[in-house]
Amino acid sequence: MKAVITGRCKLSSRDVEAALTRLAAGFRQVRFVHSLEKLTVAAAGLVLDSAGLRGPCGKSDIGIFIGIDNSIEDLKDQFFSAILDQGMLGASPMVFPFTSPNSLAARVSIVYDIRGESITIPINHSGADVIKYATDCIEGKYIKMAVAGLITMKHMALSAEEGRYEAEFYFLEDDKSARERNAVIYDCL
Amino acid sequence: MRNPVVITGIGLVTPLRPFDGLQAFWEALCSGEDAIKRAPAPLLDTKKNWLMAGIDLSLRPPKDADPGNKLFVIAEAALSMALHNAGLRNATRPAPLTYSSLLNVGLVTGTVLGNVLLKESRLMDTGKGNPGDDNMESLSSLRSYLASKFELSGAGFTVSTACASGTDAVGIAARMIAAGKCDVMVAGGADVLSDFALLGFSVLQALTDDKVRPFDRKRTGLALGEGAAFVVLESLSHASARGAGIYGSVLGYASRADANHLTGPHREGRGLSEAMTAAISDAGLASADVGYINAHGTGTGYNDLMETKAIKNVFRKGAYEIPVSSTKSMLGHSFGAAGVIEAVCCLLAVRDGIIPPTINFTEKDPECDLDYVPNEARNHEIRTAMSLSAGFGGQNAALIVGKG
Repeated sequence: MKAVITGRCKLSSRDVEAALTRLAAGFRQVRFVHSLEKLTVAAAGLVLDSAGLRGPCGKSDIGIFIGIDNSIEDLKDQFFSAILDQGMLGASPMVFPFTSPNSLAARVSIVYDIRGESITIPINHSGADVIKYATDCIEGKYIKMAVAGLITMKHMALSAEEGRYEAEFYFLEDDKSARERNAVIYDCL
Repeated sequence: MRNPVVITGIGLVTPLRPFDGLQAFWEALCSGEDAIKRAPAPLLDTKKNWLMAGIDLSLRPPKDADPGNKLFVIAEAALSMALHNAGLRNATRPAPLTYSSLLNVGLVTGTVLGNVLLKESRLMDTGKGNPGDDNMESLSSLRSYLASKFELSGAGFTVSTACASGTDAVGIAARMIAAGKCDVMVAGGADVLSDFALLGFSVLQALTDDKVRPFDRKRTGLALGEGAAFVVLESLSHASARGAGIYGSVLGYASRADANHLTGPHREGRGLSEAMTAAISDAGLASADVGYINAHGTGTGYNDLMETKAIKNVFRKGAYEIPVSSTKSMLGHSFGAAGVIEAVCCLLAVRDGIIPPTINFTEKDPECDLDYVPNEARNHEIRTAMSLSAGFGGQNAALIVGKG
């Protein structure tokens, strides 16, 4: 069994509002706490679209594999800085859950009802480990399909609206499944 | 055909007898010793003594790790213990692996907050935001440090899947060996107590101000803990060839998402049920083969009820015959380390035929009606045990171990 790429999406946080308008109405109404969350959900929606899958999926044979670099530290800094500024009252119950790196994959799983394996991998520079592990899971028959990708900080000096973050996502599946559903195959892994 | 995977080394540093070794930890745990005490927050003056299970670094033997960096100190001690325990490292030499063929040992590390104490100190000192690339606050910095220190140059990465991080780390490493990608992997997890976590869980009203009482009718929440634990995994053929002692086998593993809520579990335990079912299938077992469950068992109202429902959903009537215990009642919740510590408890339970207890259990909850091994350890011969983890984001993982 070989894994193939049947969906792809590269999205800057600068372009996320426009991207959201391309998603189905139900997904456009999702409320967001942080720009990283919004970027991740939008990019996952676009990659599912690209693969010809319209959510909600409702399946446990689709996994989510997300690599994230130090952009997650922005959320931690936001949470703890508010405590330093305001004392215990500054501890936000809305922000705290997002300081756990898997919260972004979790939001994707919730919005698109993806119930399979969910693995978040902190990365420094290369996201190769993320794609490789997702591929291994497909080839090892632990899952059939995967949303796999990276969230990275592109320009520290910029705000989210100016393009601070970028998401690069792929939809992976085994080649047999791709052929059966006549999916466009962009690349083989 | 998958290669059988065995565990040949264990190392851990927990709030129970932190630097006294594996057997002292296990005996303390099985005697029901409670490591959860009141103490001030690590850095901030919150005018409160918090219930938590901390590790007293003054108990450790002198080491060369930076004494200011608790995460690295306990992780290094646990990893060193695991390698030595597996016969892969000479206790009297500082770093290199002594087994000459182990040039390609990999490392998978689970952590949720990583070097959070360093972040807290920096923000308190400078108030500046994200320090960017290649800094020691990075979640992957712990793995980089350990891999370099112990010359573990093989495959691997950091996993951060909330409270399932440690379980996922062991499961992922086992899969790599099972697939024939490598012969030896080290997997584990580590996290430390922090103001960050205390205040975060406090504001979510998840912390107890009483005893931690998993599955008890009067349970009121969890207590945070800290720790580090690592295991050495090998293909059976590799372990046999070098005559290694074997604690047990990793038989099955699965991860599943609830797809339900960011902080609360699915009320019927949908994701955890699916993780258990998939892990049992992965192990090629029937549900009746599972002899003990080390529960996630945090002591919160929602988790313990959800977990009970999930176990009943998978095991049906058989659920009432399986001992289920929560070692978090004694150790608190150590995030990324918890899953590995609990997998170790499963291995030792299988090895010794002893089930560690759920302490502070005084009153049965009519909705949590399984056998929670209340207050006293139990002699019980088993061949397989399952460790469960559930975390923020609806993250679920199940790991099954068995006799070697």
